[in-house]
Amino acid sequence: MSTDMTLLETLRRQGVSRRSFLKFCAATASLMALPPTMVSAVAEALAKAKRPSVIWLSFQECTGCTESLTRSHTPTLENLIFNAISLDYHHTLMAASGTAAEAARESAMKEFDGKYLLIVDGSIPLKDDGVYSTIAGRTNLDMLQEAAKGAAAIVAVGTCAAYGGIPHANPNPTGAVAVSDIIKDKPIINVPGCPPIPVVITGVLVHYLTFGTIPDLDDKGRPLSFYGDSIHDRCYRRPFYDQGKFAKTFDDEGARNGWCLYELGCKGPTTHNACATVKWNGGVSFPIESGHGCLGCSEPDFWDAGSFYTALSMAAEPTKVVAAAAGIGAVAGVAVAVANRVKKGSAKSQHKTTTLDDLEK
Amino acid sequence: MTRLHDIGIEVRNESAEGLGAGVNAILYELTGMLEALLEDGRGNAIDLRGLPLAPGEYEQLRATLGEGEVSAEVDALGPTKIRETAIHGVWWVTHYNAHDQVLAEFLEVIEVPQLLKTERDDIREGLDLLNERLAALGSTGAVEDC
Repeated sequence: MSTDMTLLETLRRQGVSRRSFLKFCAATASLMALPPTMVSAVAEALAKAKRPSVIWLSFQECTGCTESLTRSHTPTLENLIFNAISLDYHHTLMAASGTAAEAARESAMKEFDGKYLLIVDGSIPLKDDGVYSTIAGRTNLDMLQEAAKGAAAIVAVGTCAAYGGIPHANPNPTGAVAVSDIIKDKPIINVPGCPPIPVVITGVLVHYLTFGTIPDLDDKGRPLSFYGDSIHDRCYRRPFYDQGKFAKTFDDEGARNGWCLYELGCKGPTTHNACATVKWNGGVSFPIESGHGCLGCSEPDFWDAGSFYTALSMAAEPTKVVAAAAGIGAVAGVAVAVANRVKKGSAKSQHKTTTLDDLEK
Repeated sequence: MTRLHDIGIEVRNESAEGLGAGVNAILYELTGMLEALLEDGRGNAIDLRGLPLAPGEYEQLRATLGEGEVSAEVDALGPTKIRETAIHGVWWVTHYNAHDQVLAEFLEVIEVPQLLKTERDDIREGLDLLNERLAALGSTGAVEDC
């Protein structure tokens, strides 16, 4: 299908009615976290949008990010979005393999030079000349540098591509780094998460389709529309935190009553992601709603930021603070931020392993 | 125990005796939107997916707004169910995909939700289609024969 056709033309040709298109735009505006009043603006922009060529490179990763997207529970919407782009290379999803697959990538890079969107999942190993991850005999570093040259923008999908992720965790045996550690002259959108929420991945693609620009980003390169708030700020259990009601173990009265999991190690206060509102598995729930604290997987170095079951800051002592002052949120917030910086600093030198004691705390 | 709802989970809402904080905020926002609609005809909407509702609050919101007189279903990319709540002018719009999973959910404050209206381009297409069918039937002859 031609990339000259607009998105509306593409969809109309597939038998999508105008009402279906409007519904698609309403759902799209919702997943991009745009105000509902923007639906008509989205419809107008998407109707005129051209199908961009997309090259997807998978490096040092577990394929969880692709799984997240392809097993998403809103197939209609994701399918439409994927029909709206021209996915010219994705070595897990494409039918071609070997030389034919690499030829497809090279041909797309040539034909859409300067215009294609490059999506990367996985980190890039640099140690020993990058031999720890190669595709078709070429290192990830070599392939990334070549593909980045002609890209209009790069989307680093998943925490590995965005910040190095688990391969980058101490002691980082392969010298894994993020896309942004290598490419300095292209706009990079980080979509971290281990894996990222599928609609967040597609939301970023649709933003690019709709507006032809990259979305507003925070200081860690993440789109503000999805990563603008902390999990803690959008958590339905937040009122319990403010009241000083905490679960102390995973089976006490507090846990059964759905109280705040801060003392059980929840990383919600320092983690920015859309899990608390967009949720997982088609909007069923998210980790905290299932009774487990947030692991902080969309933050840099989350694997080395101390035990998942140790409270973020002992200094905050939430129950004591709440007895002394009403403004616990503000007080604990500052303490948590300081403690987190200290923890991240110390985590660089020593990897902490979760022990049974941590779980039983 | 074979089905999910057989598992004995009780959703307890701390504010079960009164309105939950999330529901309360939404109802006040709807009040403002209804006033704006009356004043200058400006429609508005709330995206329910973007709100951190506690377990039980969604059901509480549904019960508080109640059921109105009008309901409609649009068959486009899977069903969309549109119901006017007992509060006139407040419509509960739920978009499903072909597998009956919710794509998006809005509370629309407007006379008639946009999705129910027929757009002018579609009216034009409708007119063309009707003319084509008349022509296929022998045009005006078909009418005269009647």
